[in-house]
Amino acid sequence: MNRRSFFFSWAKAGAAALWTAGIAGTAAAVKFFQPMVSYEPPLSFKAGVPEDFPVGTPTLLPEENTFIVRDRERGFRACSAVCTHLGCTVRWSSGDQRFYCPCHGSVYDAEGKVIDGPAPRPLDWYEVTMAKDGQLQVDKHRVVPRDKRLIVES
Amino acid sequence: MKLLRDIWRSYRRRDSVATTKGKLQLVVHSLWLHIHPAKVHRSHFRLTYTWYLGFVSFYLFLILVATGVALMFYYRPTTAFAYQDMKDLEFAVFLGKFTRNMHRWGAHAMIIVVVLHMYRVYFTGSYKKPRQLNWVIGVALLLLTLLLSFTGYLLPWDQLAFWAITVGTAIGAYTPWLGPKGREILLGGHTVGDAALIRFYVLHCVALPTLTTLLIMLHFWRIRKDGGLSPPPSNLREFESPAPGTRPVAVAIPVAPHPGGTATSASARAVAVALEEVSEARAPRYAEDKDIAFSYPFAFYREGIAFLITFALMIVAAMYWNAPLEELANPAKTPNPSKAPWYFLGVQELVSYSALIGGVVAPALMVIALLVIPYLDTRDVRAPSKRKWGIWIFTLVTLANVVFIVIGTFFRGEGWKLVWPWASP
Ligand code: HEM
Ligand code: FES
Repeated sequence: MNRRSFFFSWAKAGAAALWTAGIAGTAAAVKFFQPMVSYEPPLSFKAGVPEDFPVGTPTLLPEENTFIVRDRERGFRACSAVCTHLGCTVRWSSGDQRFYCPCHGSVYDAEGKVIDGPAPRPLDWYEVTMAKDGQLQVDKHRVVPRDKRLIVES
Repeated sequence: MKLLRDIWRSYRRRDSVATTKGKLQLVVHSLWLHIHPAKVHRSHFRLTYTWYLGFVSFYLFLILVATGVALMFYYRPTTAFAYQDMKDLEFAVFLGKFTRNMHRWGAHAMIIVVVLHMYRVYFTGSYKKPRQLNWVIGVALLLLTLLLSFTGYLLPWDQLAFWAITVGTAIGAYTPWLGPKGREILLGGHTVGDAALIRFYVLHCVALPTLTTLLIMLHFWRIRKDGGLSPPPSNLREFESPAPGTRPVAVAIPVAPHPGGTATSASARAVAVALEEVSEARAPRYAEDKDIAFSYPFAFYREGIAFLITFALMIVAAMYWNAPLEELANPAKTPNPSKAPWYFLGVQELVSYSALIGGVVAPALMVIALLVIPYLDTRDVRAPSKRKWGIWIFTLVTLANVVFIVIGTFFRGEGWKLVWPWASP
């Protein structure tokens, strides 16, 4: 190996190191922009006591964008009000027992299944449990099958 | 007296513009003007060639910066204050409504004008060698213009703003792999709230305008480096084969000593360089002197008039039409129908058929197509009459966009159903 090619290989190694450092630095910079704290409404929240909710009509909790569905005297479920198409808030229509999305016309039945429109998935159902203080607790982290109900003993 | 004269001279630094040398010095000695060549070809300033659309894009950008900075004196980017500050601007601040109107209509106008400018560059084949890179810079500027408008749309924090951005960012979230994470980083969370507002504010007021300014500088510099504007296709023959015996234009280089004394040689050299540039080999060779004019006054007057017309129209628009401000943003109540900003309504219209194809694949293909046009279409033919196919396709795609935007804007009613615009809801 002559002196010149020796030098050039060092230069190349140096350049490679700089590139690596640059890429690592960029990755770190991207990480900087990832939100680490959130002031959004918590994903697990208390919805209120069972008596707050009428039987038959889903009740919208506006802050959390969630419907509490009491479709049996003692059975409670929680249904996402966020349209799975592009995130508009769906609205309940008691007349024909459907959820309508105002944005691009998606329609869901009372079980959250897509009947019409561009929505790709049915509405999400979240786990409902009973908190110690007697309130319903909804956890949006936990998506559950739509026939899973919380049965409240009276 | 001598003091005043010295001050004036130190500012002016040139001979009278009645003289050839003064005309050259005016351009060459000015940081702001020397982006121009000392001389220009008259045909480049023919109204029916460029329609001054690039200039008007730039003037609108300047107007937007000026009005935008003014609005920043009142606007606070938090959900607690933003909407109230807009109301204050509307009803309390002197000229507040006017300034806001001008900023809003200027943003809309800029999108339209930039697109028309792109269309003119395509139509006249001006993206061809050696101008491919400047076309690509132009595509970046188009995207920046759209992003500027989109980020600004959220700031008033009314229902229009909130739902347009909710829907708009949800479209982007369909991008495979990058989408959901990208939306979270852009919004600083999962929903449009305080974190999103400050992020959009910083992008809208600092990051994107800075990038746009830098790219505009690059865009202008490339025009010079590519040998000035492309010659109008109708003039091509004259440009390509100078009649035998004609020389590239050159004006006698004024070498008379400058009255100021020491600065002489530097300034004479600069002027000489400017002259050389006119006859630079890369620049099109002009057949006849009569087609060439000094930038002062020929180009500057025309640019100035274009600016005044742009500004006047913006003033009229801001006086007669008020920028919308709906109710305070309410995440629980989606207005029906809920629409993205108009320039994305074409995309929203496609999205109502399929979110992935309409919202991600089609726009991405369109941008990629724009980027590769100058590298695929390498035929050395610029006259529109000889590029009929390309022009047909480009026009049809542009028109399809316009049609979708018109449908989305006027023909979509409650529940995104097709309605007649004159049918009252
Ligand atoms: C912020 C947006 C933009 C500004 C301020 C701007 C400004 C300008 C100006 C002042 C000119 C000179 C003459 C004229 O045509 O009026 C020009 C030329 C040019 N622009 Fe743009 N432009 C913008 C966006 C674009 C876009 C979107 C494209 C294409 C995708 C583009 C491609 C070009 C090319 C290739 C030229 C050279 C044309 C020629 O030599 O005939 N520009 N631009
Ligand atoms: S967001 Fe509900 S249909 Fe598009």
